Amino acid sequence: MNPVEGSEDPRLEHLVDGIVRLAAGELDARIEPSERGDAIDAVITGVNLLAEELGHIYTELEERVAARTAMLRRTQVELEHMAKTDALTGLANRTLLNERIQEAIRTGTESGGAPAVLVLDLDSFKAINDTLGHSAGDAVLIEVSRRLRSVVRASDTVARLGGDEFAALITGAGADEVMLIAHRVWEALQESIDIGTETVWTTASIGICLRDGGYSAEEMMRDADIAMYQAKAQGRNKVQLFHPDMLNAVQERSRITAELRTAAESGQLALLYQPVIELASGKVTGVEALIRWHHPVHGTIMPDNFISIAEETGLILELGRWVLHEGIAQLGRWKQQAPQLTDFRLHINLSAAELLRSDLVGDVTGTLTRNEIEPSRLVLEITESVLMSRRTVEQQVLEKLRAVGVGLQIDDFGTGYSSISYLRDLPADTVKVDRSLINNLETDSRQQKFVAAILQLISAAELEAIVEGIETAGQAASLQAMGCLYGQGYYYGRPVPAAEILARISHSEPQM
Amino acid sequence: MVVAPETVDGGKGSVELRDDGVVHLRWLSGISIEVEDAKAAMAKVNEVCQGVPHPMLVDMAAVASVSREARGIWSIPCDASRIALLGRSPVDRVLANFFLGVHVPPCPTRFFNSRSEATDWLNAVR
Repeated sequence: MNPVEGSEDPRLEHLVDGIVRLAAGELDARIEPSERGDAIDAVITGVNLLAEELGHIYTELEERVAARTAMLRRTQVELEHMAKTDALTGLANRTLLNERIQEAIRTGTESGGAPAVLVLDLDSFKAINDTLGHSAGDAVLIEVSRRLRSVVRASDTVARLGGDEFAALITGAGADEVMLIAHRVWEALQESIDIGTETVWTTASIGICLRDGGYSAEEMMRDADIAMYQAKAQGRNKVQLFHPDMLNAVQERSRITAELRTAAESGQLALLYQPVIELASGKVTGVEALIRWHHPVHGTIMPDNFISIAEETGLILELGRWVLHEGIAQLGRWKQQAPQLTDFRLHINLSAAELLRSDLVGDVTGTLTRNEIEPSRLVLEITESVLMSRRTVEQQVLEKLRAVGVGLQIDDFGTGYSSISYLRDLPADTVKVDRSLINNLETDSRQQKFVAAILQLISAAELEAIVEGIETAGQAASLQAMGCLYGQGYYYGRPVPAAEILARISHSEPQM
Repeated sequence: MVVAPETVDGGKGSVELRDDGVVHLRWLSGISIEVEDAKAAMAKVNEVCQGVPHPMLVDMAAVASVSREARGIWSIPCDASRIALLGRSPVDRVLANFFLGVHVPPCPTRFFNSRSEATDWLNAVR
């Protein structure tokens, strides 16, 4: 044999076979060395040892990859859990709730049972946070979530939507059972919560969306939310089932809001003026400006139907500005047309939000100056609740207005939280007694005594009284007999356009 | 003082603390050293040294194989202050150098195929 070919030693053949097996990935393949211990055995031993090391490295690598993969999977699960869980309470968050609602809608469509969604808003949580601090607030939220979990079924999902708003998804339950669960939720929140040494109560307003299939998760949440707001509006701590009419009302409000935004600039707003009468003489001493919205489709809309929306949306500031400018400009025109009316006054209603308008005083004085109107000829009517709140900012604004000579009048007296002792210190000149107090004036002698007492009280506080809502001659006579100085109402004249006012003034006798 | 060689548990080798202060670990020819054998040998070395570090001569004497775990045992510090691995065959050399290359010995360790050179190296630093 030729030693170069190496075929004389069978170990070399084994060695080649072994290396081929190893190269094919068979890392546990080993080549048996002989007992000779020569160089060929040394190569065989070396190959075996290298294969062993390689196998070990592979195993270790695989173990590490497996460990790292498991760790990544765990981290991913944790991250997913965190992304879908509320950190404070451990409840589902809005994302997870939304997924569950979608899933429930899908399975509900197949089985014929639609899910129900409850939305809860805690009624007095802000006060707890403000008075006891945020950690107490957090403790309340944790306790509320514990109670919610304890009254729903294991298959239901309780979620925290943020702040003090919670929700629950009820699946596979009939209408009666859903209502039962909602009442259990309500009941669970009637008991007080102990936070350290303090005891707090935090009830909830609960809205329920329980509709047959065909609605998306978003629509269900929206409807439960609308019902919840309805529950709040009804005095809180209530359970309210969603009804489609509620959605129409909400859509109507948002439509009004959008249209109201452009109403002033498109000339749809107008002022009517109702005479203010000196009862003894029947003389028109001034007018109250009253806003009307002449809607191109819906006709004339009364302020009751849009002022509250304007207040909620902040549009009241723009409306108030328009009324002020338009009313004073009109007073200027009357002044030019009838310069002899030197003490004829314009009454304008001012909302609570407008008192916080930083440019209010400047706007009032500037508008008066531009129209050459003496400040004393403007009377701003403010509801008694604003005057009673006695907050510093409002107080300062009122004092500034009085200082420039503008008259201030308490509006709707007798409907709010009137306090007799405050009446004396109020920054006002006149008090307008609410129409509700003279309803039965002619027939009810007790009511007569009551109104007489109120008028005396106003007089004792050195304020002047004006009674609104006078509709009959009898009412007018009674009030005059009681010493009431001024009055307003349909008996004396309905609100009319500006053009009719001067004619009304010249017609000095009361309209019959 | 001459102390008779003590057999390592398992019977694959013996350990002796020689007069010249060298610990002599002698493996039998042709054996395969497993992790238990390595542990037993190390325990025996520590036993004869009684906490006093000594240079050690390891007589590989044509050992057939040493398992990976067994090689790992000699990475643990013991009473040997330096180790001379003495082998004769090319296989001994591969085995010894694999140990030296893959593992980190706890004390200076070298392979020799000459007994006298190994002894000289062990005695050189004393």
